[in-house]
Amino acid sequence: MAPISSVEYLSNPLVTSNQLLDLKNSERDNGLSVRFAQAQLTSAAGILLRLPQEVIAQAIVLLQRFWVSSRPEDREGFSPKTFSAATIYLAAKLSATPVAPRSVVNVYAYLTSKASPLLFVNPQGAPTDPDPADYYVSEGTYERERQRLFVCESVVLVGIGFDTRVALPYSLALTYIQVLGVSSASLARRVFEHLNAGLLSPQLLHLTHQPHALAVAAIYVAARETGIKLVEQNWWEVFDVDREDLGFLVLAYGSLANFAEAEAKKWKGIALSLD
Amino acid sequence: MASNSKSKWAVDDEEEAAAVALRKKERDERRRLKEEKARQAAIATAATPSSPSNENERAAKRQKTSPEKENGASTSTSEEGAHLLHFPSRQFGPCGHVDQFELLNNIEEGSYGLVSRARTKGSGDIVALKRLKMEHTNDGFPVTGLREIQTLMACRHANVVKLLEVVMGTSLKDVYLVMEFLEHDLKTLLEDMAEPFLPSETKTLMLQIVSATEYLHSTWIMHRDLKTSNLLLNNRGEIRLADFGMARYTGNPRPKLTQLVVTLWYRAPELLLGAEEYGFEIDVWSLGCIFAELLTKEPVFQGKNEVDQLSKIFALLGTPTNETWPGFRSLPNAKALHPVLSGSTSPPSLSASKFPYITNAGLRLLSSLLSMNPTARPSASEILSHPYFKEDPRPKAKEMFPTFPSKAGQEKRRRRATPQAPERGDAPRLDEQEFAGIFAGRADEEQGAGFSLRLG
Ligand SMILES: Nc1ncnc2c1ncn2[C@@H]1O[C@H](COP(=O)(O)OP(=O)(O)O)[C@@H](O)[C@H]1O
Ligand SMILES: [Mg+2]
Repeated sequence: MAPISSVEYLSNPLVTSNQLLDLKNSERDNGLSVRFAQAQLTSAAGILLRLPQEVIAQAIVLLQRFWVSSRPEDREGFSPKTFSAATIYLAAKLSATPVAPRSVVNVYAYLTSKASPLLFVNPQGAPTDPDPADYYVSEGTYERERQRLFVCESVVLVGIGFDTRVALPYSLALTYIQVLGVSSASLARRVFEHLNAGLLSPQLLHLTHQPHALAVAAIYVAARETGIKLVEQNWWEVFDVDREDLGFLVLAYGSLANFAEAEAKKWKGIALSLD
Repeated sequence: MASNSKSKWAVDDEEEAAAVALRKKERDERRRLKEEKARQAAIATAATPSSPSNENERAAKRQKTSPEKENGASTSTSEEGAHLLHFPSRQFGPCGHVDQFELLNNIEEGSYGLVSRARTKGSGDIVALKRLKMEHTNDGFPVTGLREIQTLMACRHANVVKLLEVVMGTSLKDVYLVMEFLEHDLKTLLEDMAEPFLPSETKTLMLQIVSATEYLHSTWIMHRDLKTSNLLLNNRGEIRLADFGMARYTGNPRPKLTQLVVTLWYRAPELLLGAEEYGFEIDVWSLGCIFAELLTKEPVFQGKNEVDQLSKIFALLGTPTNETWPGFRSLPNAKALHPVLSGSTSPPSLSASKFPYITNAGLRLLSSLLSMNPTARPSASEILSHPYFKEDPRPKAKEMFPTFPSKAGQEKRRRRATPQAPERGDAPRLDEQEFAGIFAGRADEEQGAGFSLRLG
């Protein structure tokens, strides 16, 4: 049995209509692409730092909250890469698995170097024998980067009003699957894949919907894909999700693969800088 | 009623205030609903999935327009979902600026002078502003400050201080918690009282303090710095637990945590002995210390350092044995105890003479809170159902509580004599020599004249 999670928040603060409109108006042409790439960068960094998925998810949600609630001038001082590093560092610090600033700086240096496996960094793919010198961080650079990381962390905190609590859908989804009596490893795996992918969605799903709705929608989509029948009529209502929210989220989860594909096409052969 | 100090006017004012509050609540609720509606509309139109349709997308669309066909059922769409539970939605946004507040006076002149009384410029509301300590910047924003905010934000309980918002000053290092203001803290109040609280008052205070603790523990938060100066009291007899600077979430299994928590005088023996895995029982020990302090007006164990603290505890409660506390010898700092304790078989006892105003039930409760063995301490919810709270005298109604002049409200405070919560650093190692000293002195300790209670 998994350990009881220490932080079991039930609900998240949600984005307001004005905040969404402001974000839309202030974002440049590549806004969606930058956010999508930034979320992938954050996820990759979290994996290299061996952070649990919950911590990575928390970082991405905090990052999304920051984009939405900060003023444009707050976002000026740092690159998307540094914001990503600052939120991963912050989320890890609050978790049971904190990481050293040195590790964070090293990992981001690697992920944005010529050796990076990320396609939007190296559109031709990473070299087969990468040169460690490409991502070596000298003491001097580290000192500077560390200071920037710390200032950026504070900027993020101020931008989100210091509310670092993030409720996640993972354990809810597992419970719901059990309640529905359809526990199967393949279904659970598919549900988690959708939930993880949903974090990368530029639609900011974790800001528009509560975890219970995200969990239900991911189960809905995954059950269809794995051919598992959920017999009970309107079963989502048992979990307090209405048809309208479900429809919106099913669409979002279902279309994400296509969005990712479209992005890949759009940036084929072109690097997207997050620096 | 003669004993009720409130005038007729005060009652009217309160009714008036309640009515105003109610109207404001209704207004807020209407605004929230409106905002929620607008949000839903914006969500439906805003974010733009650019991609073509696929299997799922069609399914969802079809389902949206013709639910009856999809499910072969004929549920009425107008009623569908009406019974669903909706979360009240919170919002998020950037920090406000501290200049919305007008500083009135520093509340505590002591250690850091971090807490002040202030007036909200717009509304005139009085608040307390606490400036976060930022001294440890080797890891960026201090994790203790983050936890203080995180845990306080998560708490909604009548006996936990309300965090209204977090604001910043001119630099990123100026971060303030804006809290409801309370007239007193129990430490300052006790220092100024000629006599301790009445037994009925002590019960009312303890019930509220334990309720707050029970709430924290039920949400997996350990406070880790329970003491009288962190317990606030207003002039309506209401307690608010404050100072979450040491608080943190815990879990099951227990994580390894620092032992450098809890102000020395309120620190549980397992922490003093270096336990790395500890739990809610350390808060319960502190509750015992607070209970004793309410009874006598004096902190019960006033050690000068870790070793002295343990010696004070052993002097009052007896030394632990393998029977009363199985396994205590394997705690890191207990190694130093081995030679000293091998011959000793002193029975644990809590002397009643030290607490002249307490009943048998009260003394039983106190000795259970101050069990040396952490597993022998009751949980916070068990404390609430203890017979002590049910026997006479009954807890005094909060409305009947006496009022006291507020130092925080009117004048500067004296410097504190209490030691502060521990700073970061290495946990202390106790050495054998010092321990030998403890036990050498034990024979001379006052054992107290009254009857003594056996601990089970
Ligand atoms: N909300 C408040 N209203 C009134 N006084 C307060 C409030 N919060 C704190 N204080 C006063 O300030 C003192 C220090 O506050 P606390 O939060 O305990 O900070 P510290 O971490 O410095 O101990 C308290 O003992 C109390 O006297
Ligand atoms: Mg304090």
